[in-house]
Amino acid sequence: MSDLSELHIDALTEIFSIGAGRAALSLSEIVGDEVHISVPSVLVINSEEIDSTTLALNGGRFGAVTQHFCGPFNAEAVLLFTEDQALKIVGDMMGSQMSIEEIAEFEHEAMCELGNIILNACLSAMADILHFTLESSLPNYRIASADEVLCRLKENADQPYVMILHIDLSIENRHTAGSLVFLLSSSSLANLVVHIDQFLGSIS
Amino acid sequence: MAFHVEYLKLNLSKKSIVPMHSSIKKLLIVDDSKVSRMLIRTHILARRPEWMIFETACGEDAIKFVDNELPDYCTMDINMPGISGTDAAERILSKYPSIKIVVFSANIQEVHQNRARSLGSILVAKPVTEKSIALALNYFTDSE
Repeated sequence: MSDLSELHIDALTEIFSIGAGRAALSLSEIVGDEVHISVPSVLVINSEEIDSTTLALNGGRFGAVTQHFCGPFNAEAVLLFTEDQALKIVGDMMGSQMSIEEIAEFEHEAMCELGNIILNACLSAMADILHFTLESSLPNYRIASADEVLCRLKENADQPYVMILHIDLSIENRHTAGSLVFLLSSSSLANLVVHIDQFLGSIS
Repeated sequence: MAFHVEYLKLNLSKKSIVPMHSSIKKLLIVDDSKVSRMLIRTHILARRPEWMIFETACGEDAIKFVDNELPDYCTMDINMPGISGTDAAERILSKYPSIKIVVFSANIQEVHQNRARSLGSILVAKPVTEKSIALALNYFTDSE
């Protein structure tokens, strides 16, 4: 069922780029500087195929913000940055005058806020463009190793598909790369494809 | 990315000649997303069916295209492979200041709005909708 066409992927990439633009605007208002977020690639694969290369995870520990979305399709979304990068992002969000200890204290809250902004911007762009409504749960943040992240993504038998967005984030000229992963059931992916087809049908 | 120019309405192999003051205008859409180009093209042709629409998928191809075809108007995405849309717009406008360019982007931070303004252009927020296309068309035809 993961046989999405080039045009499906193009549509998803454009939708998520619009979401990234919205998230960048929100984040730039928080940090008071230009923020660049782009989604250079979108990949939909069977979760069995997921590995550290597809997720661009290079070992170490990761900050993962998780949020559940439900509507015409249900998805669990996981936003991943390395823990080091997560702390730098938090530092940028909280202001450079804070010490490392103070930044670490706010890590959980700030990463939940970052996840909330990026995830909701991406999902709201999708909902607006494909004309449906999605509800979201509160974000949850935890630190995990690359193996724990991969195991967690692969073990969910009810959601055998993953949609992976590679994310480039630059705040104050500091570049960070992360991944946004959506875990999808077969029926959720099928419903998503139906909505993309309806959207493409309306413009072709 | 491959040089991609799509000729619509007329199969043109050489510079197309359009009489001055004609209602037939030439519009170049520059966007790396095919879906985005389809959206802009569909909305524009719904309002201006007589216009000739051309497409390129990156800034470098847009600059080459403008040298050959000199369109009246251009819609320009910002985030594309290669040079940014605003850099491409700057290079095009420095050579052909009569072309009206609308920067179409989801990246609507003030810095980009100011950059578009400094080029004598405007930034219109994506997604592409009837409303955003109306803003672009108003900008294209306002002073004519």
